[in-house]
Amino acid sequence: MELLVCIKQVPDDSVEISLDPVSKTPALQGVTPVVNAFDTYALEMAARLKEAHGGEITVVSIGGEDVKNSLKNCLAVGADNAYLVKEEAAFSHDPAGIAKTLKKAIGEIEKDRGKPFDLIFCGKESTDYASSQVGLFLGEESSLPVAANVISVEPVEGGIKLKQETEEGYRVMEAALPCVVTIQKPNYDPRYPTIKSKMAARKKEITELSPIENLESQFKVLQILEPPKRAAGVKIKGDNIQEAVTEAMSVMTKARIF
Amino acid sequence: MARLVVHQERIPDNQELIKICPFGALEEQDGNVVVNAACKMCRLCVKRGPAGAVEYVEDEKKPEINKEEWKGIAVYADHVDGVIHPVTFELIGKAKEMAAVTGQEVSVLFMGKDIREKSEEILHYGADKVYVYDKEELERFKIEPYTEVFEDFIRRNKPSSILVGATTVGRQLAPRVAARMKTGLTADCTILEMNENSDLSQIRPAFGGNIMAHIKTPNHRPQIATVRYKIMNAPARSDSKSGEIVTCDIPKENLLSHVEVLDILPKEKESFIENSDVLIVAGRGVKKEEDLSMLNELADLLGGQVACTRPMAESGWLDAKYQIGLSGRTVRPKLIITCGVSGAIQFVAGMNHSDTIFAINNDPKAPIFKSAHYCLVGDLYEILPKLIARVKEKEGM
Repeated sequence: MELLVCIKQVPDDSVEISLDPVSKTPALQGVTPVVNAFDTYALEMAARLKEAHGGEITVVSIGGEDVKNSLKNCLAVGADNAYLVKEEAAFSHDPAGIAKTLKKAIGEIEKDRGKPFDLIFCGKESTDYASSQVGLFLGEESSLPVAANVISVEPVEGGIKLKQETEEGYRVMEAALPCVVTIQKPNYDPRYPTIKSKMAARKKEITELSPIENLESQFKVLQILEPPKRAAGVKIKGDNIQEAVTEAMSVMTKARIF
Repeated sequence: MARLVVHQERIPDNQELIKICPFGALEEQDGNVVVNAACKMCRLCVKRGPAGAVEYVEDEKKPEINKEEWKGIAVYADHVDGVIHPVTFELIGKAKEMAAVTGQEVSVLFMGKDIREKSEEILHYGADKVYVYDKEELERFKIEPYTEVFEDFIRRNKPSSILVGATTVGRQLAPRVAARMKTGLTADCTILEMNENSDLSQIRPAFGGNIMAHIKTPNHRPQIATVRYKIMNAPARSDSKSGEIVTCDIPKENLLSHVEVLDILPKEKESFIENSDVLIVAGRGVKKEEDLSMLNELADLLGGQVACTRPMAESGWLDAKYQIGLSGRTVRPKLIITCGVSGAIQFVAGMNHSDTIFAINNDPKAPIFKSAHYCLVGDLYEILPKLIARVKEKEGM
């Protein structure tokens, strides 16, 4: 199967990011860029699919020169080919703009490689802006069926069998190919690169693609704010446990728990 | 943005034209004159170059949409087999509040199979109109036919804003509909405000809730927003009904799907922590797995459940479905008692809308105390047993 995994480079999500008081933008200086966690799950799922059923994995991302590093990391953990849409201002586009850019890139990659993709993977959301829209917009833009929050994929006669997580449980679905899936964390973790796979990845070429010019955004971010601070809570001293417990009881009574 | 277009056939001498530019922004490539990144848009080349050689093209201004044509606020009724998800009522409440600003209607879109009777329930919450699409093909959520119906509803009724619950279904359906309507969508809004000109101010968290983005969709309609369950307040259910039910139809042929639902598997029967009025949360301050029994006892006494932080779920003491936070569940109980929880931002983002937050921690500097309404600095191993005893006393046990 021909598999495509769409990758977003994001600031390390284990670092707490605050607002830069001067520029009024997120303070990202010094935060290590990483591949979005949900995209790494998608790549791992694709890698397992390839190992079981054959095929090739292509990764694509949108961004500046520094994103090539993230793509190299993908090449070290299962991807065969990598493409980068050179767009320094990727962060300023809304999900619709990103989906349109991906659609154009997919057309160009398919032409370049001489074969169409069967399955297109996206993470279910990114850890920075978490809009969880790009995969779904891409499905509509490309007139392809799409399934979100997928935790497993398995090829079947004439299509693909998917397991989707919902609030209440799971839905087992069958989709025609080609199809777009957005990946929720499955019950396994992405693999680590080996020294050998890292070396091999470093030697691989990353093909550059051109962005869409004058891409229009549908929404405008007017302002970046800090979350409202709430009023300080009532402090109850712990030295007298009995008193503290009495206070706790009256709080619960007020909250009509009893 | 405007740009320059170079018409090569109108240039008698490339070098003459290139010399005109004071910034060196014109250069020759393969015999053609091209504009490079140094261009400052001074347009000297347009004015002084050979006639028509360089053309200044202004971007076409998109025509302003006529906002008058788009009226009212619509809410998507999220449901499973006709059982309406409570986020729907919360959104109707919010929609009514916002519609009061513009004096417009609140409508509800309800699609599914055998749902006509169930739609009556929505009339107890104050919607003006409920549009019902009751079709065989809509029995289960399938993204393509559901999008078709949504599009049909939008084209007929032209709502100015649409609110969708950020459930698994809503988070799939809303983006697909937004893409179909070529409009903007803001996911997981925490604050929504209606402006008098019907522009919707949408505020949503980013970067794990540390930063909020204020977003508008100034020149597209409808404006679509998704909102998570328990962010907005549900209106009280009125005993009487108001508003009307409008039955709608759509041709069967439009409801094709390339995805078939083969089976629906339940997660094992359980009560979700989202539905609990009282939550007792175990954090790293709980030292041994056996000590959870103390928290369980208090939870049982208060008719609640035990939940946990991410480290506790990762240690395997509790299942991930009991985990609160960005990588877990968002909860909004009446009372939440955190026991030995330090209060990482990712955790707080999942519970800071709780009505009453009661934090117990022995570190007076723990960040949880910034979010708590009541801060109890002390040892949970001393406090909890006494608290349990007092609750038992009160309940007469």
